[in-house]
Amino acid sequence: MTKVLEVRNLVKEFPGVKALKGVDLDVLEAEVHCLLGPNGAGKSTLIKCVSGAVEPTSGEILFMGEPLPAGDPAGSLKRGVATIYQELDLVPDLSVAESIFLAHEPRRGPLLVLDKMYRESEALLARLGHESIPVRAKVGKLRPAAQQIVSIARALSGNVRLLIMDEPSAILDEAEISTLFDVVRRLTAEGVGVVYISHRLDEIRRIGDRVTVLADGRTTASGLPATTPTGELVELMVGRKVEQLYPDRPVGTDRVLLEVRGARRLPAVRGVSLQVNAGEVVGLGGLVGSGRTELLSLIYGLDQLEEGEILVEGKRLRSGGPRNAIRRGLGMAPEDRKSQALVLDWSETKNVTITDLKRFSHVLLDVRKERESARTQLRALNTVPDDPDRVVRLLSGGNQQKVVLARWLLHGCRVLLLDEPTRGVDIATKAEIYRIIGNLAESGLGVLVVSSELEELAHICTRVLVMRDGEIVAEVDGKDATEHELLRHAVAPTDAPVLVEEVV
Amino acid sequence: MTTPAQTSEPGRGAALAQRVRTLELQEYALAIVVVLLFVVGAILKPDTFPTWDNVRNMLTQASVVGVLAIGMTFVIATAGIDLSVGSMVAAAGVFGGILVGSDGTSSLIFILGAIAFATFLGSVNATAVAYGRVVPFIATLAMFSVARGLALLLNDQLPVSLLDLNGGSFGDPRPFSLLWFGNGRIGGIPVSVYVFIAIAVIGWIVLNRTRYGRYVVAVGGNREAARIAGVPVRRIIFSVYVLSGFLAGISAVLLCARLGSASPVSGNLYELDAIGAVVIGGTALAGGRATIVGTFLGVLTFALIFSLMTQLNLSTEIQQVTKGLIVLGAVLLQRPEARY
Amino acid sequence: MSRKRLLISVAAALLLAIGATACMSDTETVTQTVTVGETTAGESSSGKTVTIIASVPPTDHGWLGAISKNAQAAADKFDDVDFELVQAADADSQAQQIEQAIAKKPDVIVVLPQDGAALTPVAQKAQRAGIPVVNIDRLFTAPDAATATILGDNYQIGVLAATYIGDQLKCQGNVVEIQGLAGISVTTDRTKGFTDTLKKKCPGGGIKIVASQPGDFNPDKGLTVMENILQAQNSIDAVYTHDDDMAQGVVQAIRNAGRDDDMFLTGVGGSQDAMKQIKAGGLYRATFLYNPNMAATAVNMARLIALGQGFGELVPPEVPRMLVVPAAVVTKDNVTKYEKYAFN
Repeated sequence: MTKVLEVRNLVKEFPGVKALKGVDLDVLEAEVHCLLGPNGAGKSTLIKCVSGAVEPTSGEILFMGEPLPAGDPAGSLKRGVATIYQELDLVPDLSVAESIFLAHEPRRGPLLVLDKMYRESEALLARLGHESIPVRAKVGKLRPAAQQIVSIARALSGNVRLLIMDEPSAILDEAEISTLFDVVRRLTAEGVGVVYISHRLDEIRRIGDRVTVLADGRTTASGLPATTPTGELVELMVGRKVEQLYPDRPVGTDRVLLEVRGARRLPAVRGVSLQVNAGEVVGLGGLVGSGRTELLSLIYGLDQLEEGEILVEGKRLRSGGPRNAIRRGLGMAPEDRKSQALVLDWSETKNVTITDLKRFSHVLLDVRKERESARTQLRALNTVPDDPDRVVRLLSGGNQQKVVLARWLLHGCRVLLLDEPTRGVDIATKAEIYRIIGNLAESGLGVLVVSSELEELAHICTRVLVMRDGEIVAEVDGKDATEHELLRHAVAPTDAPVLVEEVV
Repeated sequence: MTTPAQTSEPGRGAALAQRVRTLELQEYALAIVVVLLFVVGAILKPDTFPTWDNVRNMLTQASVVGVLAIGMTFVIATAGIDLSVGSMVAAAGVFGGILVGSDGTSSLIFILGAIAFATFLGSVNATAVAYGRVVPFIATLAMFSVARGLALLLNDQLPVSLLDLNGGSFGDPRPFSLLWFGNGRIGGIPVSVYVFIAIAVIGWIVLNRTRYGRYVVAVGGNREAARIAGVPVRRIIFSVYVLSGFLAGISAVLLCARLGSASPVSGNLYELDAIGAVVIGGTALAGGRATIVGTFLGVLTFALIFSLMTQLNLSTEIQQVTKGLIVLGAVLLQRPEARY
Repeated sequence: MSRKRLLISVAAALLLAIGATACMSDTETVTQTVTVGETTAGESSSGKTVTIIASVPPTDHGWLGAISKNAQAAADKFDDVDFELVQAADADSQAQQIEQAIAKKPDVIVVLPQDGAALTPVAQKAQRAGIPVVNIDRLFTAPDAATATILGDNYQIGVLAATYIGDQLKCQGNVVEIQGLAGISVTTDRTKGFTDTLKKKCPGGGIKIVASQPGDFNPDKGLTVMENILQAQNSIDAVYTHDDDMAQGVVQAIRNAGRDDDMFLTGVGGSQDAMKQIKAGGLYRATFLYNPNMAATAVNMARLIALGQGFGELVPPEVPRMLVVPAAVVTKDNVTKYEKYAFN
């Protein structure tokens, strides 16, 4: 089998830090080769070297047997190496066809040949099984999943032989991920080699052929079969034995902490009733658009209920915004940490104490006490690095999440609402967060977790509620929950993925 | 000089440590500019610039705008802006003046009246921005006009003479009479300088060592996150505009004390100097990062520039160009992220 | 300028020059003209209504405020005048207001432009539309921008000031100039008259202008600028300011520094405060009349133009193309005479 990509002993040094210390990687034609590794392992740097965005310090990169021109992204692209980043680099106001052919539009002299462009776009989308995406629609109006398909079509338009995908499933829900995998299989059927980076071990098993694990700038294992057991993979990433990814399932008590009765706020939430007891971790699963985040917003007081009521420890929660909810014992870690939970320019300490400043102020703030208390909480969660003055912007996703959790641990709440707590978090930290959630439940809190990773919900929850179209359609006991079972409830019988948000 | 840390990977060690260090460097940068300006002045006018008398003079001139700038720091920290402070100074002065009346001698009435009126105007701004959801730029731009109009209207466009508010002794105003705030001295240092420094110190303490100050910066740093974390966002935003008005009242007292009259045309474009001082001091216009020390240095910078250029008898055109260049230079010395 | 207009303006200038040499009767001449205007009006008050629109800058200054008041008062004296006063915030909005005025088709437009050069095009537009324009104080920069102009003699003020200061100091000493708003004709003329005359009067160079800074016609600017100059200059003998209102700030700075015995100060305008201080004696020694009553004259001229009449004294009776209102020196000796013309 031809090797599409060969990387030998790649080293990349930046001033002050060695990002890659000798990486090896092999990608064959028509295979999906998964790249695993914790944050900071060097995955992004490796990708940038291969795509030409960054010039390596030493080492070899061979593409189809020929050395790749270093530090030349346009050259790499022409040769057939295409990269799809997490933040899709598409221009919202361009049409699908224009985006696909951006910078290499079919021309006659100086003029664009529009119908050729549209025809060829349609053909490319058909190759991917997505002829339903309208080529004249503006990219900004498409769902993220569809935008991703457009990016892939763009890669195809340049005769790609190696496609690199950086965490493509981060923005997708289960149904969209299945669709994506179909597309990937089509590509490999045409002989394209795919490098697939992901944190999700279950995906590796589903779509991958082989796996390479990076840790701390080095290849710790190369070319393993995708069927390698999870535990082994995690060990290779983290460098030590991680007992298990998921802690023991919390059992829960009978004491009702949070009760939601008939909550309704159109159009997202159409009448939801649920209950969270002390000691329980209740999962809230569903596809994108099912109304889970909106439900949390209603409970926490960010939005006003149109109908229904919320009870905390038996007493009605009057609408009064987050301040009232916090006073009654609720806490919330929102979906987008960076824009909704953290002040990025602030230190860890300040982000941890912001909800609980009263504790440290008798007229003036006791800055020392504040710092010590924050440090205690951060240490309890094993936040890395152990520096409460570190500016939060510089932390990894997982550690940023820990800062948010530390905030609520410091304040002390009765019910914790978590929205996608492990999004963008590496494997090792995920395990830690699962453990933290479990401990919280054990200490008597009630936890309500929204997550798109049904696999994760299936493992850590006492029970899982499945939402669809603003209502709860199923409740599955934790012991019986599997990803498949949950997905079955989440997807309506005739659900075709909705790709365009507006009809143009 | 580009930092290579474009990835989100942590533990970049030395590169990051350097970025943290430059955070402090930027505040030092302005201190360097201040020292430089002073040295230049000392070289060019060695007999008159580096004297205690001149330093006193510059600090006194700085105090009027300085007090405004402290308030502006709080407003800008919430990612807001207050374009009306100059007009509020004029209106407050005239209001205090007519309250006292043409034969009045009560300094207390003037001071309380001016401060109360300015605080009232500030609360109008506050209501519009916090509860009316009007964009701060527009709300305070409207007040800029309205307050100026009031200043002209209240006494039929005439200034109010305040030379009698001296506590009974002409030429040597009694302590705590109005004119004493302008010309009086304690230990050789003008009273207005004490007022300015006191307000700066209190401002620093409030901003950095109180719950309130932390909330102010949180609102500017990430309004949504602050809300979700339980910060009373609307109340905080309301309060900073009231504060700005209050300090405009104090500034009016200082100005009228020095002038000996309340002039409806005073305070012209003071808001630009206040905003300029705050911005070159390092407080981010987008909110989330505020420094009183920076504002203080910024105010000193402007006072130094004005004093130096006037004493050098530079023509207006040259003054304007030079001032602009110095401001640009001070901003460029800051690290890129701090520039906006 | 056409020959006819030249003759008329020379005639008018001569007339006023005769009045000026008599020194004391300047203002009376102007007042007399007003009286003439009134009697002329009396003859034809049964005639048409004259619509006059006056455009002035924002009255954030005592002198400008007086202009507006005097214009309004003059118009009120006539029952055949329909008068509208518009105040602008700056040069641009004043241009817009004049455009709107043109659309209303008044008989005459009276303009005191915030900036003469900037507003010349719109004034020319009015003239071309058949609406005569009367220009007050700040000159337009083209001859066809106005039918008649009345202004104070800013250059002359500089001359009078230099003469007065030169005499008082006996051509020996340090002088500080606190100017008005930089860049407008009023300021440049007052400076030029001053510097030109000093050169002629004191050719030995005994008088030195040690500092010259703009005070923007604003008292708090005057205060801070003077404070800095006092720092820089150890020896100052006289201060020539361009404006009485602004001078209040300058005076305060000098008093605060305790140097009011070292020097004396002159202003421009003729405000009540200035007259009071001149009468009391001390630091404030003189001011030069720049009477905002020229606005009243302007309104009267505007009316005459609209009615197709002129000044009775002129043969044939026409409205002069340019009226220059001379200044007068007001000192302690003659202040009682001018007090009644003082403005707020």
